[in-house]
Amino acid sequence: MSRTPRWSLSCSVAALLGSVAVVGACTGHLGDGPEPVVEVAASVCATGIHPGGAPIRRMTRFEYNNAVRDLLGDATRPADSFVAEEEALGFNNQATALGVTQLLAEQFMEASEGIALRAAKDWQKLLPCDPQKMGEDACAAQFVLAFGQRAFRRPLAEAESARLDQLYAWGKQQYDFSTGLQLVIQAVLQSGRFLYRVEMGMPDPVKEQSDVTALDSWEVATRLSFLIWSSIPDDELFDAAAKGALGDAAAIEKQARRMLEDPRARDAVANFHAQWLGLGRITTITKDAAIYPAYSPALRPLWQKETLSFLDHVVFDDAKGDVKTMLTAPYSMMNAELAAFYGVTGPKGAAFEQVSLNPQQRAGFLTQASLLAVNAKPNQSSPIHRGKFVREQLLCQPLQPPPNNVNIQPPEVDPKATTRDKFAQHSSDPGCAGCHTLMDPIGFGFEHYDGIGQWRDQDHGFPVDATGAISATRDSNGAFDGAVALAARLGESAEVRECVATQWFRFGYGHGEEKADACAMAQLQEAFRAADYNVKELLVALTRTDAFRYRQVVVAGK
Amino acid sequence: MKKLNRRHFLRGAGGVAIALPFLGAMSETASAAPFPKRFIAFFTGLGQVKSAWAPSGTETSFTLGPVLSPLAKHQSKLLVLSGIDMESAYHGPGDPHQQGIAHSLSGTELEVGNLFPYACDPTAMVGWGGGISVDQRLANQLGQKTKFPSLELGVQVQYTNVSSRFAYKGAAQPVPPEDSPYQLFTRVFGELTGDPAVKQRLRAQRHKVLDAVQDDAKSLALRLGAADKQKLEHHLDAVSSIAARLDAPREIGGVCALPDVGGEIDVYANDNYPAIGKLQMDLLAMSIACDLTRVASLQWTSTQAGKVFTWLGQSETHHSLSHSSLTDEARQSQLVAIGNWHAKQLAYLMDKLASFPEGNGTVLDNTMILWCTDIAQGQSHARRDMPYVLAGGAGGALKMGRYLQYAGDHHNNLLVSILNAMGVPDTTFGNPAYCTGLLPKLLG
Repeated sequence: MSRTPRWSLSCSVAALLGSVAVVGACTGHLGDGPEPVVEVAASVCATGIHPGGAPIRRMTRFEYNNAVRDLLGDATRPADSFVAEEEALGFNNQATALGVTQLLAEQFMEASEGIALRAAKDWQKLLPCDPQKMGEDACAAQFVLAFGQRAFRRPLAEAESARLDQLYAWGKQQYDFSTGLQLVIQAVLQSGRFLYRVEMGMPDPVKEQSDVTALDSWEVATRLSFLIWSSIPDDELFDAAAKGALGDAAAIEKQARRMLEDPRARDAVANFHAQWLGLGRITTITKDAAIYPAYSPALRPLWQKETLSFLDHVVFDDAKGDVKTMLTAPYSMMNAELAAFYGVTGPKGAAFEQVSLNPQQRAGFLTQASLLAVNAKPNQSSPIHRGKFVREQLLCQPLQPPPNNVNIQPPEVDPKATTRDKFAQHSSDPGCAGCHTLMDPIGFGFEHYDGIGQWRDQDHGFPVDATGAISATRDSNGAFDGAVALAARLGESAEVRECVATQWFRFGYGHGEEKADACAMAQLQEAFRAADYNVKELLVALTRTDAFRYRQVVVAGK
Repeated sequence: MKKLNRRHFLRGAGGVAIALPFLGAMSETASAAPFPKRFIAFFTGLGQVKSAWAPSGTETSFTLGPVLSPLAKHQSKLLVLSGIDMESAYHGPGDPHQQGIAHSLSGTELEVGNLFPYACDPTAMVGWGGGISVDQRLANQLGQKTKFPSLELGVQVQYTNVSSRFAYKGAAQPVPPEDSPYQLFTRVFGELTGDPAVKQRLRAQRHKVLDAVQDDAKSLALRLGAADKQKLEHHLDAVSSIAARLDAPREIGGVCALPDVGGEIDVYANDNYPAIGKLQMDLLAMSIACDLTRVASLQWTSTQAGKVFTWLGQSETHHSLSHSSLTDEARQSQLVAIGNWHAKQLAYLMDKLASFPEGNGTVLDNTMILWCTDIAQGQSHARRDMPYVLAGGAGGALKMGRYLQYAGDHHNNLLVSILNAMGVPDTTFGNPAYCTGLLPKLLG
């Protein structure tokens, strides 16, 4: 979940001498200003179908846990002990980064054995038939077909069911009926058909485009379930797939809207939020208790839950449910312990409830303790990390790591100076300024929040100066005073809204946007605009692009 | 440690316990040595303070400096190598840390890709390492008979990106390390105990299931496009590798005893770095003593992970210290202390391996450890004049106890020399453009 913390704190002029090329590169980036994420001429997308790339996608641990829960009722989260996913673009579900090493293959094997053993405790629950009445072998054959179809998300080919039937027969002959069935479960859960999303598309390409094919209904059902639930389809989706009823946009949209009302959608969306905002790092941060007496490690999961609950509320329960509300809502979700931490009144117990906030001090997720504490040091705030967060996660402008031969040492905590003053060196140092003017002036706007996100009017006895400025954006440039004003500015920004859709594109489709994806991205952005940047509508829009419903024709070996 | 049954072991000459698998292994090793050779890659990041790292003296008569001094008792089993350049790491995409770690064992350029941003070029992104690493090449050759072709161990590596991987099965196939000694214990030693009949049944079932899984994967691969097919084939390779080793010997006895991992502590707490490191070395040494693997790597954290060596009285991250000026004596001396501490860990690992008798010597005599890093020193991020140490005996293939000073020889030559010393007679390794042959004077 975590990213390498490449950024450290300050630069020294001396160490930068001789690194002119590096500095030039950063300055050049600043001067140019960011381009739209993917540019494409509207005329290119106006005709034909442009699905973009769609590599096979391996399940993540989250998806594996959900899939075995929905497949077999096994809620033991067996994938929690799997090796962590390799991460790319800040997400752990990117197709190109997810392979299978021997370690993971062993873990798949052992997990499948444990799952099969647990399933064997109550075959009655899983079998579609009564082996006593029907006969064990006939019932096992039915199980192979029914279980295999749900696990592979499409009917088994004859060779596949024959292979599993043989395995069952061997297990029964050598041991017993239950062992035979367990081996079937093990083989299915280790199959590429279960672990990857494999798509072949319809047998024939679309009219006038020999290289593009529509996905069949089984494949569409799987795309829907993994996008919205991070799991396998439910019975209704499977039924629709079996009828071939997911071939048109309206039917797909209807399913998407139904699925968004299911609690599984909330879990999947929370998974996105946690990764997009880097909240997984909360569990590893430490804070200096001498400087922050209000801190205790037990606050960390509460902070995380606050942000995830807040965003869940905005996306699923708020009337507008849009990006602006995420950034500017004058409320949050807290329990009694968190309310005491923030110094607000309201909740009395451990349950999280909606709490109104002082709109002069707090607005949306940007001013919540989770992000403020993650993007801070153990003993002080960090304007750099806070600015970097806004630049990279909200504006989708990746920043390069600092030049390699820079002397980066954090400023000591100095009781005679504000954090802001100590960090100001970046802006005056020509070597660092190139990149740091992109981050620090944004981060200074957060100086009213200390290293654990509590409001402060004074920093080391000096009044806080939380004036800041944004530069190098398409529509947000200029000075501001405080994070509430910053959030309001970002809430109006088309660039930020596009970035949210771009992050969802990467997460939802499992890969970074490339040239071939330009038309799908344009479709997505247009739909998001048309829906007034409502996030739930964005999820629906992800199911309406060419990239979702079509793919390049698969040519074996090509 | 619990000693369990010894019935699968023979008594060798002199009463030394010999595990049965070694007898069968003799014909497979290229060397005539009666015991298998083992290889361990030992990685620490961010280079060394060169002046404190380099020995003084001549090839055969030298004194270790402050960094390597903890290894003095093993000096007769060391080859200290200076003056070798990681030339390949000056080519291809990536920033110096990314290049340094990915090239360290592969000698191959990184892939261009859209996965990770890097310093110095705001328009470019980089992918994974571009080729197989030397440990995995050895695993392919020497790892066929053991339960694990290789084991990858980490100490708080934690991160999952190109700056945190040095073992590669091939281009864009990073092999992640296991950071948890507890998970590692279960994986490696979990099956060594228990009812033999139950284990036999499990093996028989696994054979059947994995056969079906492989048949299934093969037929699926045939239908996929090239890139997807390759991904599935890598997966299939992993499954085949497990299937091929199901019957590999794995018994407790002789020097092979179950390691004791004690009560569980937080694997990622900064201050547990030494304790987790020690556990991982105990498990690594025992995996080798039990012949569960012959190839391994031990990666000490990620290059820019922000580890603070508090147990040395330090409060700044290693990465931050490594950027300090060579004239900043206070910080440079802390870097020396970090190097010295890692040398102590290597000495500990050597002690452990030397504690297992094997023939007339010890397991250490038949092991080669390569201590490598990503950059020569932090201040410049140079990848020239790298601080390499070879340790152990490599079964007599190397004449140890020397300090060899090279003048810009490429590190690909070191890597191919390692292969040859391990009995794998490759003539080149990594990108051949940076490999001109064996390092002179290295092989005995």
